[in-house]
Amino acid sequence: MFTTNPFADLPAFLSPALIQAYVVLMIVAVFGGTLFDVVHKRSGQYFSEYRAKTKSRAKRTIGGGEATTMALKTLVVEVARAGEFCSQQRQISHLFMFYGFITYLVTTVIMVFCYLGDGTPTPTILPLLWNLGALMVVIGGSWFFFLLRVDVSHEHHSPFRLVRADMFIVSLLSSVSFALLWELSKSGSNATLTGVLLALYIFSSTFLFVSVPWSKFAHMFYKPVMAYQRRVEEADGSSNLPPPADPSQTVNLQADPRQKGA
Amino acid sequence: MPTFTYMAKCDGCGQCVDICPSDIMHIDKTYRRSFNIEPNFCWECYSCVKACPQHAIDVRGYADFAPLGHSVTVRREEEKRTISWKVKFRDGREKNFVSPIRTTEWGSIKSPSDYDVPSADAINSQELAHEPEALNIPALPTLDPDKFKLVLT
Repeated sequence: MFTTNPFADLPAFLSPALIQAYVVLMIVAVFGGTLFDVVHKRSGQYFSEYRAKTKSRAKRTIGGGEATTMALKTLVVEVARAGEFCSQQRQISHLFMFYGFITYLVTTVIMVFCYLGDGTPTPTILPLLWNLGALMVVIGGSWFFFLLRVDVSHEHHSPFRLVRADMFIVSLLSSVSFALLWELSKSGSNATLTGVLLALYIFSSTFLFVSVPWSKFAHMFYKPVMAYQRRVEEADGSSNLPPPADPSQTVNLQADPRQKGA
Repeated sequence: MPTFTYMAKCDGCGQCVDICPSDIMHIDKTYRRSFNIEPNFCWECYSCVKACPQHAIDVRGYADFAPLGHSVTVRREEEKRTISWKVKFRDGREKNFVSPIRTTEWGSIKSPSDYDVPSADAINSQELAHEPEALNIPALPTLDPDKFKLVLT
């Protein structure tokens, strides 16, 4: 069950070209939605004005090599390790969702475009990774949704209170959960249940990708840009923040007699 | 003037929600970012500005004594036990200050919930809960009542 292409039996009632067209449409929806979001909310205009303002405060010019190094550091620290989070639990749950979603997405695209309809056997690793990716999203997403979400952990609202900010996490969790349930249902004999779960899987996936202009989906594009901008500000001296304290000015705990009893 | 949040920097961690003494920093329903729900009740204590790990909160100064173009920013470094302030005046002058904020390790102070629950008899005591041991002193300082007696000669 976990080692066979979950989309392999779809061509029996949906043509492979239609399934592939759907995937392409969803990719277009994400990029189109993000562009619409940038224009509609004027995020692009805000960012270019913000950048011009900070650039005018710069005390030195950043070279091409230094800019590349900072971009690489942003990729490694903020994107690959989600290092901007101050809470370790949020960081871990985010990494579960991030890597799980990418694995799930990439394997879906490969299985749909390379191993659908022409009878080529799907390598076992792909469905395994697809299941693992979906499971990682379910684990990280549920942990975040029920325990770590700021509305629950700091505002003390019920985890079942839903607001517009939850649109992304709810549609993401629904999409991967229905994907897994649909795959599980195929091992049984209830065709109706399988059909219903497939319909829910398609609906929640469509909602996830089409709702980009109204959901938080686009944060995966904005956040790295802002993280890079912060590094630039620290490096060229345009940051509005005070410089980090000189370590020699650090309070010496050894000199404090009360520290012994603390 | 009240605090405001730079939405592009905030990651919705909720530290400002916890620390605000006026309970006016909350999480917005649309983007899950913090915002000041009642600017009139903000007394600019800077608690949220100092606590924000993303430096996403700022305070708009009163125009009469902090005219346009000024800024006051802060960086709290728990591991160094310091807090640094940068004050920018509108004529371009800058002043930087660094102050110690702790003499003990960050996180080493026991939370009130870590102490044992006081006994019912403790309500008759003049001392507050866990005094004087929680203050790291043997006894609270007292004044000798005889010192207050008016002696007529």
